[in-house]
Amino acid sequence: MQKLLAWVDQRFPLTKVWEEHVSKYYAPKNFNFWYYFGSLALLMLVIQILSGIFLTMHYKPDTSLAFASVEYIMRDVPWGWLIRYLHSTGASFFFIVIYLHMFRGLMYGSYKGPRELVWILGMVLFVALMAEAFMGYLLPWGNMSYWGAQVIISLFDALPFIGPSLAEWLRGDFVVSDATLNRFFSLHVIAVPLLLALLVFLHIVALHKVGSNNPDGVEIKKKKNADGLPLDGIPFHPYYSVKDTVGVAGFLILFAAAIFFAPEMWGWFLEHDNFTVANILQTPPEIKPLWYFTPFYSILRATTDDLIKYGLLPFVLALTALTLVSVRELKTKGIVVIIAGFVVAGFFGLEAKVWGVALMGLSLILFFFLPWLDRSPVKSIRYRGWKYKTALTIFTISFVMLGYVGTQPAEGIYKMCAQIGTLVYFAFFLLMPWISTYDKTKPVPERVT
Amino acid sequence: MKKLLVVFALLTAPALGWANEGACGQVAKCDPVKVDLNDKPSLQRGARLFMNYCLSCHSASYMRYNRLGQDLGISEELVEKNLLFATDKVGDLMSAVMPKADARAWFGTAPPDLTLEARARGPEWIYTYLRSFYRDDKSPSGWNNTVFPNVAMPHVLYEWQGSQRAVFKKNDKGMAHFEKFEVEKPGTMPPKEFDQSMRDLTNFMVYLAEPAKLERYKIGVYVIIFLAVFFVLAYLLKKEYWKDIH
Amino acid sequence: MGKKNVDPQRRMLLQLTTAVGAVGAGFAAVPFVSSMTPSARARAAGAPVEVDISGIRPGELRPVEWRGKPVWILRRTPEMLASLATVQPHLVDPKSQVKEQQPDYAQNETRSIKPEVLVVVGICTHLGCSPKRELEKGTISSDWEGGFFCPCHGSKFDLAGRVYKDVPAPKNLEVPKHTYLSDSRILIGVDPKGKGAA
Repeated sequence: MQKLLAWVDQRFPLTKVWEEHVSKYYAPKNFNFWYYFGSLALLMLVIQILSGIFLTMHYKPDTSLAFASVEYIMRDVPWGWLIRYLHSTGASFFFIVIYLHMFRGLMYGSYKGPRELVWILGMVLFVALMAEAFMGYLLPWGNMSYWGAQVIISLFDALPFIGPSLAEWLRGDFVVSDATLNRFFSLHVIAVPLLLALLVFLHIVALHKVGSNNPDGVEIKKKKNADGLPLDGIPFHPYYSVKDTVGVAGFLILFAAAIFFAPEMWGWFLEHDNFTVANILQTPPEIKPLWYFTPFYSILRATTDDLIKYGLLPFVLALTALTLVSVRELKTKGIVVIIAGFVVAGFFGLEAKVWGVALMGLSLILFFFLPWLDRSPVKSIRYRGWKYKTALTIFTISFVMLGYVGTQPAEGIYKMCAQIGTLVYFAFFLLMPWISTYDKTKPVPERVT
Repeated sequence: MKKLLVVFALLTAPALGWANEGACGQVAKCDPVKVDLNDKPSLQRGARLFMNYCLSCHSASYMRYNRLGQDLGISEELVEKNLLFATDKVGDLMSAVMPKADARAWFGTAPPDLTLEARARGPEWIYTYLRSFYRDDKSPSGWNNTVFPNVAMPHVLYEWQGSQRAVFKKNDKGMAHFEKFEVEKPGTMPPKEFDQSMRDLTNFMVYLAEPAKLERYKIGVYVIIFLAVFFVLAYLLKKEYWKDIH
Repeated sequence: MGKKNVDPQRRMLLQLTTAVGAVGAGFAAVPFVSSMTPSARARAAGAPVEVDISGIRPGELRPVEWRGKPVWILRRTPEMLASLATVQPHLVDPKSQVKEQQPDYAQNETRSIKPEVLVVVGICTHLGCSPKRELEKGTISSDWEGGFFCPCHGSKFDLAGRVYKDVPAPKNLEVPKHTYLSDSRILIGVDPKGKGAA
């Protein structure tokens, strides 16, 4: 055994990689509950790929066969139902894990320097995962699959100039059709999974270069012992490998409970309207995406002329004024005024529909800039003042609220909630420079607690 | 942090319940129905009803006859003798007796496939729909339904239920609201017995929509017990290792 | 990575957890592996096939499909039946002693229930090609008594599907389970009532 290992090591850095990333990767010893979700996200990716491979053996990407082939998997293929639920209910669990993983980053400032690239790669992963989920959702060719894809692809129609031809290019037809199904299948089973695997690799490499953050936001690499090892660090293996095993076991209990006892989660994970085959003559009474898209979908729907006139316009003007007061250089002030001028002109010149799409895109883009929007000297919420704590709490509540109202018809109180949530969403990011600058922080300890 | 988790749970818990509000059309409310897939006799009675009445016009084209026999404890000979109308092979999918084109000509629309109806609409909807046909001279078939207004389907089981009239009442906004049914002509079955039969049929259709449900619950219990054991072991192991960390 | 002086309790727990984890992984593999076995649809397609043989003239062969395989039904003429005895010295297994190649009720001189009607799976026992029918005498060589010839690798079979010596195929062609529903109708894939549990 030793000899074999030596033989391999001469030709491939097996031991070196193992030590660098596992047995001698020093992670802070104070990880808490929130630090389970990284390894759980990896577990979910593995589960999705594995179940996906086996589903692909039976699924048929053809509009006349797709729906029946899913039911074939559910009934005729031995254990097909389990593999299908692992995949379809698993998708929702994947997003639960990812959202909690991202929330951990927000709480403990994991996006702040030197981890900006870890965060950006993570955000690219999130966007790729959304694309993966969206294309996967078309494949069963249920009525909601069909109309959901139809509506979301039509969003691209809203883009000025290139919109309509872009939407046609994406569909490969004038409506969602067999061509669309076939290319979504190809992208869903090959292109995006490859991209996801690559991004996960980069995400981890970047993380291991700078080292993990922790609930105290203390850089453990600053305090090292005589051997050059971080005083507050412990080897990932065996300490975090055994700890993550506990996390995996606990998570699998919940996952199994869902798969075996409530795979539809009362319509939240598998929608009732998707148990009818796609019907081009009949739109379901309420088209809504699955829950993990609804916060962004809400922003899209909330953007009406009212919101622009009474919400976004005053918001942009106030933000411009605030920026002008805060920055000193004349040149910067000039740039700010020009940008604000364009935005305000756009409010009057462009349709609300265009703004809806733009804001939905912006709501994702803003996450990428969080490392630079946040000016606070501390990372962790433990040492931040009440301003940031309040902002994060309000943002979290309104994000969940946006998610919920996105599943409801866009009228009355729901519409108002979505509009308020949208303003809160953008205020959180765009006011972050001021919130974090004027927040009264507590002193951060030298060592983790 | 624990507090935040609790807030999260509280925020999402009520939402779960709201996702599936059983709506039975604009005018009617859904009646509750007891679905019990362990009740084999009820499933068997439901299967017989389904094969004799529904399958003449509707298909259940994702389901195989022999699977039904195995799951419901009906022998293959009995399936062949009593349930096979549209085909002669027990391994076949359950297609309708009536060709689709004929059906379209007679009803103006092709009767939908019923395999997944219980998952698409919910059992309460089906149970209520089956019992909500009423006489309506304005409709082409002579029948209408409060759950599915202007449905093309006639009241197939009217001999059993008899015929009823729907009483609508206008509310203050002038909108018609379904009030109650009035029996016009009693059927051959007492109402209780008819309801019981429709419950059997609904029960069967829940099974039909997802045959895996029968095994899913049973396997799930063992899986969770196993995972719980593994969880305890993993936890003890973690505690053992983390003795090193101070 | 073997550490010395490991706490015995720690080692015991580690082994136990690993063992339970491995068992779990084993169980988890079951659904994935068995999902690749024939589905209910494949099994339904494998259902018995009923054939009306009244239209098959003496000397004529009719192929039918059963479980996705060609099944040949050949009504042999008296001369054909006579040839079965002639070729015996050249055969590997003239008495059909390899059990799994035919049901018990077809382990006889003619490898059939009724002497003249041969029912055989038309797939070469070598590598799965379907042999050509060379039913006439002298078609392949001057001493050819009629039978089947596999073009892939040159295996030869007689008119009872028995394999010749010195060809790649090791066994006689397979006779499927079959039964007579009446004089003119046979059912392929089912044993006659009360016979053969194979």
